[in-house]
Amino acid sequence: MRILYIDTSSSYLYTGIVEDEHLISEVKENLSLNLSRLALPKIASMFEECSLRPNDIDKIIVVNGPGSFTGVRIGITIAKVYAWSLNIPIISINGLEAMSVSFSVSASIKVPVIDARRGYVYATIYNNDNVLLKPQYILLSDLMSRLNKFDNYTFITNNEIELSGEKCKYNPDIGTIVNKFCQRLPDNPHSVNPEYLKLTEAEESRI
Amino acid sequence: MKDIYILGIESSCDETSCSIVKNGTIDISTVISSQIDIHKDYGGVVPEIASRHHVKNITIVIEECLRKANMVMEEIAAIAITYGPGLIGSLLVGLEAAKTLSFIYNKPLIPVHHIAGHIYANSIEKKMEFPLLALVVSGGHTELILMKDHYKFEKLGGTLDDAIGECYDKVARVIGLEYPGGPKIDQLALRGKPNYKLPIPLRDDSYNFSFSGLKSAVINLNHNLVQRKESINKEDLAASFQQVAVESLILKTRKALIENNIKNLIIAGGVAASTGLREAVKKLQKELDLNVTIPSMKYCTDNATMIAAAGYYAYRLGRVADLSLNSKSNDKLN
Repeated sequence: MRILYIDTSSSYLYTGIVEDEHLISEVKENLSLNLSRLALPKIASMFEECSLRPNDIDKIIVVNGPGSFTGVRIGITIAKVYAWSLNIPIISINGLEAMSVSFSVSASIKVPVIDARRGYVYATIYNNDNVLLKPQYILLSDLMSRLNKFDNYTFITNNEIELSGEKCKYNPDIGTIVNKFCQRLPDNPHSVNPEYLKLTEAEESRI
Repeated sequence: MKDIYILGIESSCDETSCSIVKNGTIDISTVISSQIDIHKDYGGVVPEIASRHHVKNITIVIEECLRKANMVMEEIAAIAITYGPGLIGSLLVGLEAAKTLSFIYNKPLIPVHHIAGHIYANSIEKKMEFPLLALVVSGGHTELILMKDHYKFEKLGGTLDDAIGECYDKVARVIGLEYPGGPKIDQLALRGKPNYKLPIPLRDDSYNFSFSGLKSAVINLNHNLVQRKESINKEDLAASFQQVAVESLILKTRKALIENNIKNLIIAGGVAASTGLREAVKKLQKELDLNVTIPSMKYCTDNATMIAAAGYYAYRLGRVADLSLNSKSNDKLN
C-alpha cells in the first residue's frame, strides 16, 4: 500500500510517499510565490527518486484547508484530478488537525494556528485528542481569551505571527499524519473541495 | 496520417471547460460549465468566487467530456491549457489539472494563449488561409493581428484604453441592464434606431482603437437626459452606441486589409457573437471581396474547443512546456 500525501495550504509544499506505513520520500519546502509553478515538478521528482510511477500510488491524502485560498486550491486540484483519473481512494483532511497530530510533544493543550491576516487566525484547540474548539476563523484576541483558563498551552504554527505563549514551529511528520488518517472512509473525488472556513469578501458584504 | 486528438482545458474567467478536438478542426466533445448565474448577483465576475467554482467543477467537466467523446486519456496525444491571460486564481485551477494529467499519463503539455484560442476557434469553421487579418474583440481585448502563418502573430494595432466588450458591459450598466450586459445591448440595438448622436472614436491614421471616449459620451448623454427628465429610449441608445462602436472597428479593419493587401479576414472573441458586428463584416466582405470566417455563436464565448484547436497547431510546431509551466494574468500573444 503506497499513499501520497499533499499539503499546499500555506506557502510550503509538504508532500510525501508512505509505503506500508513507512515514509519513503518527502519534500518540505517553502515555495512561497512559486508554489503553482513548482508543486508538480517537485512531486514528479520525488516519484523519480523512488523509481515510482504515478499509477504505483494506491491512495491519496490531501489537506483541504484552511489557509491560503490559492494554495489550498493547488493541492486539492492536483489531488482530486489524480484520484479521479486513476480511480484511487482519496481522503481529505483538515490542516489544523494534521498539525495537532503531527506534534508529538506531550503538551496537554495544543493550539494549531494559521495566520488569516487582519487580526484573524484559523485555529483550533486540542486537549490531547479531544477537540475543545473546532477549526474556525477567529479573531486572535478571541482565541487568546478562550485560552485564558488554561495554565499551559502550546501554539503550533509555521507563520511569523505574534503569539503570547509557547510557540512551536510546524514541521509535519508526514508518516505519522498519513498513518493516523489512512483508515478514514474515502471521499468522492468530485466532492473533494477546499474548506475555506471563510466566505469571500463579496459574499460577506452581501449579508 | 494518424488522427491527433488534443484535450483542451480552459478556466481563465468564469467558464470551466474541457474539449477534445480531432486534427485541430473537428469538435469531438465539448463541455462548458458557466458561472453566469452565480456572478450576475454581483454585477460582474468576482475572481475569488470564480476560482472556488472552478475547483468544484474541474473533474466533473473533464469526466463528462471524455464520456461524451467515448474516449480514455490514453487516446489523447497532448493536453492543451490556457496559461493566460485571465484571472490568476481561475487560471491556476485549469493549469494544475492539466499538469496533473500530463504527469500521470506522460502526455505533452501545450500552453495556449487565450487570444490564440479565440483566433483558432475559426479553425473549427474552415481551414485558415494565410496571410490573414484577425480582428480580436472581447471583454479584455480589441486588436488587429496579422498572421502570415500558424503562430506568427504581428500586432498591427489595439485599443489604447478600454476593450470593446468592456465598453459594451459598461454602457449596459448605465442603461440598467443586468450583467452580462453586452449581448443584451446587441439585442436591444436590433429593435432601435441610431437616433442619438455619438462621436466615432479615433479617426486617425493608426490601426488603434479607443473606446473610453465613446463610453463617457454615452454616460454623459444618459446623465443629461435624466437631468432634463426626458425619457431614454434604451433601444435607440443601444442602436446608436452599437453603430458607432462597430463603425470604429470596421474603419480600422478596412484600412488594415487594404494597406496590407490581405483578403482573408477572421473575427475572434466574445464580441464576434454580436449581430451588429456580424452584419457589418458581411458588408465589408462584399465591398472588398474577402474570404471571411466568423466562429459559430457557441465558439465565440470562452470555451475549451478553441484551446484544443489552437493546441493542435502548437503541438505540430513542437510548442510544448514542462511541468513547471505557470499561469500568467498578462502575457503578450506570441
